[in-house]
Amino acid sequence: MNDIKQELLAEQTFADQIQKTFKTAGVRVIRKRRIEVVMRADLIPPYLTHAKNQHNFEHLSHISCVDWLEEGHFELVYILWSYTMEMQLIVKCRIPRHTPQFTSIQNIWEHAGTYEREIHEMYGITFAGNDNLGDFLLEDWEGPPPMRRDFDTVKYSEENFKDRMDARQDAQNVRETITKRSGEDMPDFAKPYSLR
Amino acid sequence: MTREKETTLYLGPQHPGITGNMMVKLKVAGDEIVKAETHVGYLHRAFEKLMEARTWMQSFPIVCRICVPEPDPNEENFARAVEEIEGREVPERAQYIRVLVLELARLASFGLWFGGQSGSAGLYTMPQWTVGDRDYILDLFEELTGGRVYHMYIWPGGVRKDLPEGFTDRVLKTLDYLESRLPAIDNLMFDNAVFQKRAQGVGYIDPKMAREWGVVGPPLRACGFKNDVRIDEPYEIYDKLNFEVPTETGGDVWARALVRRREYDQSISIIRQVIEKMPGGEYYNKVPNPLTWTIPRGDAYVKTESVRGEFGYYVVSDGSTKPRRVHVRGPAYVHAVSLLERILVGANIADVSFIMNSLGTCPPEIER
Repeated sequence: MNDIKQELLAEQTFADQIQKTFKTAGVRVIRKRRIEVVMRADLIPPYLTHAKNQHNFEHLSHISCVDWLEEGHFELVYILWSYTMEMQLIVKCRIPRHTPQFTSIQNIWEHAGTYEREIHEMYGITFAGNDNLGDFLLEDWEGPPPMRRDFDTVKYSEENFKDRMDARQDAQNVRETITKRSGEDMPDFAKPYSLR
Repeated sequence: MTREKETTLYLGPQHPGITGNMMVKLKVAGDEIVKAETHVGYLHRAFEKLMEARTWMQSFPIVCRICVPEPDPNEENFARAVEEIEGREVPERAQYIRVLVLELARLASFGLWFGGQSGSAGLYTMPQWTVGDRDYILDLFEELTGGRVYHMYIWPGGVRKDLPEGFTDRVLKTLDYLESRLPAIDNLMFDNAVFQKRAQGVGYIDPKMAREWGVVGPPLRACGFKNDVRIDEPYEIYDKLNFEVPTETGGDVWARALVRRREYDQSISIIRQVIEKMPGGEYYNKVPNPLTWTIPRGDAYVKTESVRGEFGYYVVSDGSTKPRRVHVRGPAYVHAVSLLERILVGANIADVSFIMNSLGTCPPEIER
């Protein structure tokens, strides 16, 4: 038990330090080299600036978004890495689903803009301060943001691609056509499971 | 001097040098680039959305298809993320086999890179050689996993099958062969005045900015930083192996090429160490019935060092039989969009695909 505590000493010390500065945050040591910080959404930009400048979390690895439809919010996840402390910091905040707006952190990390573009396109969240939120992966897409949990992919394709779905059903079975043409019996292993 | 008229030039979506479809919209004055803009969207397959509607095991064969030249880091990341959330132990032998597969995949991917980098400089012999040599590694993969390009081999709990009898001997023989080819490759590519002149001073990344821009992998190491996920945050059994992290200080295409060339040697050495130390025992910690297998609520971010740099997976479980969210972070997501747009400014049109290749641009992992 003591060994485990010793092993996570650096992580725990750092977690306590964050807790001291940001009292409302929920800080947790997940495992070695992993710390999770859950914050109020309005504290995220100042905290990320603080982490970058004061604690050398200079590498922004990733920005992710999770849709908690049942709970009525989006979770934004910022993943940072510090080359000097060799720790991964996972910073999370929640924003309500009915007002999907947040602040851009492009002024802190230039490449954050690309992640925000994708989240805007996939979840419909707008980032104030990012003026390049146009088409990214889904050029000419007119449907609802597709990565939202309430986007029904089957229903959407049935409504929009009806003609193509029908065409699929009368596609011929190549094996059957070839065996019929050659007049031979289809070997057992080539038959559909239901006919074996 | 009068300013030349600016023209818009669309490079791509199909063009040589990179694996996948991507377009760069260039604004050029003469043959100098004034502005560059990356356009993606030609390859979007919605893998992340697909996985939300599939069970954990059904998601596993999807992930390798995210990156064509090096699918194994995807499998390893997905497996490790699931194991981390669930708290599942992986047998030691499986960890050794995973590293063996990952490093073989690195070698295969380097083969494609050698070809792409020289090919985009007009040295067309190199792709014939190295893509041919890569096939011998694919033969090994075929024997081990049944698949040549997509392996679907590393899965949650371990690996899918144990090593076939005599497999490690065949790996060692292939390594000897690949090593014997290196002097010829050096002679044709690195000692070649044409390649040197094309690569030196081109596609320069400022070391002061490299970390802030989110640069990873060989482009970062070519700026003088000794950062490698295998050292910074060792996963599987990398902490039990001895290897070097090569660095250069030039920050240009030439420095990145030298780093990659030396990493090739390191990968060969790692595979030999893995084979020498390979323990016996189980290779798979069996998961329960995959149709009803639930993962407790939680999330994990895991990463591996792929040929192009940090490859990460953020996986979230809501406690059900299907993933709530699987989000892939490929190095090209940063390299080929914000970074490329920046370093192409001032470059020559002829160097675009050359620079793209040196950054390890891989559109499939941008779009997923």
